[in-house]
Amino acid sequence: MKKKVLLMGASGSGKTSMRSLIFSNNPASLTSRLGATIDVEQNHVRFLGDLILNLWDCGGQDAFMDSYLNIQQSTIFQHVGVMIYVFEVETRNMEKDLDYYKACLAALQKYSPNAAVFLLVHKMDLARGPKADTLARKSKELKEASGDVEVTVFGTSIYDESLYNAWSRIVHILIPNASVLSRHLAKLASACSATEVVLFERTTFLVIATSTPPPPPQVASTNPPGLSSPKTNGQLSATSHSDHEAEYDPDPHKMAPTRYERTSELIKAFKYSCARVREEFHALEMELPEFTAVLDELTRNTYVLIVVHDPTIETAALRMNIRLARPKFEELQGNSLLS
Amino acid sequence: MSRASAQRQQPSSSRPTGANGAKPADNVIRTKILLLGMRRSGKTSIQEVLFGNCVPRETLYLETTTRITKHYFDTIIPLEVWDCPGDITLEALDTPLTQFSTMIFVIDIQDLYQQPIKKLVDFVIAAYQENQELPNMNLEVFVHKADVLTEEYKIENFRHIQARVLSDLSYDGAEYETIPINFQLTSIFDHSLHDAFSRVLHKLIDSLPYLEDLLNVFCANSQATKAFLFDTKSRLYVATDASPVDPPTHNLCSDYLQTLNNFGPLYKSISASPFRMRTVPPEPIDPPSPDSAPTSPQSQSQPQSGLAAPPTDVSYPHSRLASPLASPHTPARSAQHATSTTRPGADGADGGGKPVFWPCAAASLAPTAAGAGTTLTYHLITAQLALLAIIPTGVCAARRGLVEYNVVFFREGVQEICDVEAEARKVTA
Repeated sequence: MKKKVLLMGASGSGKTSMRSLIFSNNPASLTSRLGATIDVEQNHVRFLGDLILNLWDCGGQDAFMDSYLNIQQSTIFQHVGVMIYVFEVETRNMEKDLDYYKACLAALQKYSPNAAVFLLVHKMDLARGPKADTLARKSKELKEASGDVEVTVFGTSIYDESLYNAWSRIVHILIPNASVLSRHLAKLASACSATEVVLFERTTFLVIATSTPPPPPQVASTNPPGLSSPKTNGQLSATSHSDHEAEYDPDPHKMAPTRYERTSELIKAFKYSCARVREEFHALEMELPEFTAVLDELTRNTYVLIVVHDPTIETAALRMNIRLARPKFEELQGNSLLS
Repeated sequence: MSRASAQRQQPSSSRPTGANGAKPADNVIRTKILLLGMRRSGKTSIQEVLFGNCVPRETLYLETTTRITKHYFDTIIPLEVWDCPGDITLEALDTPLTQFSTMIFVIDIQDLYQQPIKKLVDFVIAAYQENQELPNMNLEVFVHKADVLTEEYKIENFRHIQARVLSDLSYDGAEYETIPINFQLTSIFDHSLHDAFSRVLHKLIDSLPYLEDLLNVFCANSQATKAFLFDTKSRLYVATDASPVDPPTHNLCSDYLQTLNNFGPLYKSISASPFRMRTVPPEPIDPPSPDSAPTSPQSQSQPQSGLAAPPTDVSYPHSRLASPLASPHTPARSAQHATSTTRPGADGADGGGKPVFWPCAAASLAPTAAGAGTTLTYHLITAQLALLAIIPTGVCAARRGLVEYNVVFFREGVQEICDVEAEARKVTA
């Protein structure tokens, strides 16, 4: 089953680097070696084994953009599931970017009116001034330019976990039975007396589903600018959650809101380190002072992370539960093909 | 990163203050390391990346060091690193060179000019002359910023610098030719800096043979192919077993340690985690020895306790377990559960509460064509040190209990060694 994902944006905005980081598992440092994309690069990316993302990485140079909007319009904009448009946060010519964007949006509305639209404000690490403000300002500008089409805006950078956050949400739309998976993960969580169970895709390590509802999509990242995430780790503004409506606290643990994407980033970095020694990462179990966790293969294409806070639970018990849950999840994944 | 503390520093011998604003709360004899080099050679970035928790990319924003800054770092031995400005002279140093156990001269790999080499030679000769009676100062040269050159040019420049230094030394006097100087290629962007500094550290640890012995015995009995004793915060390895150190293996273990360090704060729970980190109170027979300070229920919004100044590692998970072993800096807090009772800590505490558990982790790597898979195991040994061992997966799976049994005794041995070290370094007033 193929879903067409369009990746468009101005020349040099970072589309191919994103693709290289997430889908080809290259580290951020190697993206400087990538050259300009010529015309459209079509990739059939296997996601979750059976789900194939038809990723169209469209070269951003003016000549190509003009061609997409005129001659190739129907080819490009038909049967699109998701359009991702990338803007550079400090771009030289915002006017031109917006013009092209509006033209693409119009073409999309014409040929694939049901497509979801995501706007990524990329290279946030280069933003001048406070990041939250810059992002808020840009989001407003972009939403205005989009007219009445509903768009979701993310601020991203290849040097921190924000990119994983944005892409996890994007692919979430494409997974047909995400809520079913969530329910089963919740069941697994209660069987393990776990605080949380997270399902990752094997190659990209994007989050597919979690047992707890994810935090509300944060348009402005709650982390202070990029300096903090790898370094201080202590700037967790955990109380910025807006889920305190109920009288009992639905989130007694108040774990870091960016933990999913940070996990993706950390595990991918470790996988890359293993690959450099020509080893392949398989599984991880940890009993750290703050929590106990097991990260193991669940099905051929997914990894599961079980996080437990009860100190009496052994990792071997968690592994056994994973083994027992395996057949059910393989069955669920097989069913997803039919929907 | 503003270095406001640099202005506060008094170069004279008044009470030294740490660069991070944290005064060393102790009266121990510290091993002193001198960091010298030309301007912009990379001395402060080395210090920051190793001990200041700085991300290598951000060393770009460091300001020039204008005064001698002393940095304190506690690993298996307490260290004091003197970071000097580029244009320092020996007279301005104000302290006799015999006080230092190591002098590290940092030279930019692309700096093939007369000046840095002349400076290095001057320092070496001065050190040699001061050390005539007790020649025990280690001389190290870090040929730094090695990442900018390709492999061949790197080696070529390295050899060139080495040859120049040695020839200049012999030109000044025949006896200088035989001074042992250790040259190493380093860069903050890969693991070479950690490897190089680890080797410098090995020469400073008196109890190294005993640690290595313990590691050898552990490896033999647990079928481990390699084991390292790492300092968790700086990711320097303090000791390793007798088998040769293979850089890729060392890099992998270092990355593994970094991954684990970064994981801790992610899933930390305000409500549940403090219970996990509690300690058992001491038995009644012991003299009323101070107990640890398990964290109080973190009902405030900030999940991290504001114990230390922000630049130091506030969120460091193992510092909670450190409390029974190190002298508590903080006043005791009431524990979350009635089982633990605490009392204010006195100086020089030993005994105290035993931690309930020590963190451990295992990452298994997939079986390759070469053979069965291996597992990287991690066990925390003391508050600062961790044992990283590479054990075949089969052994880990089938004999995990025995491996952990071995670790317990290994831990006791290392802790005893550390206690003796700490004892020996106490300054008797």
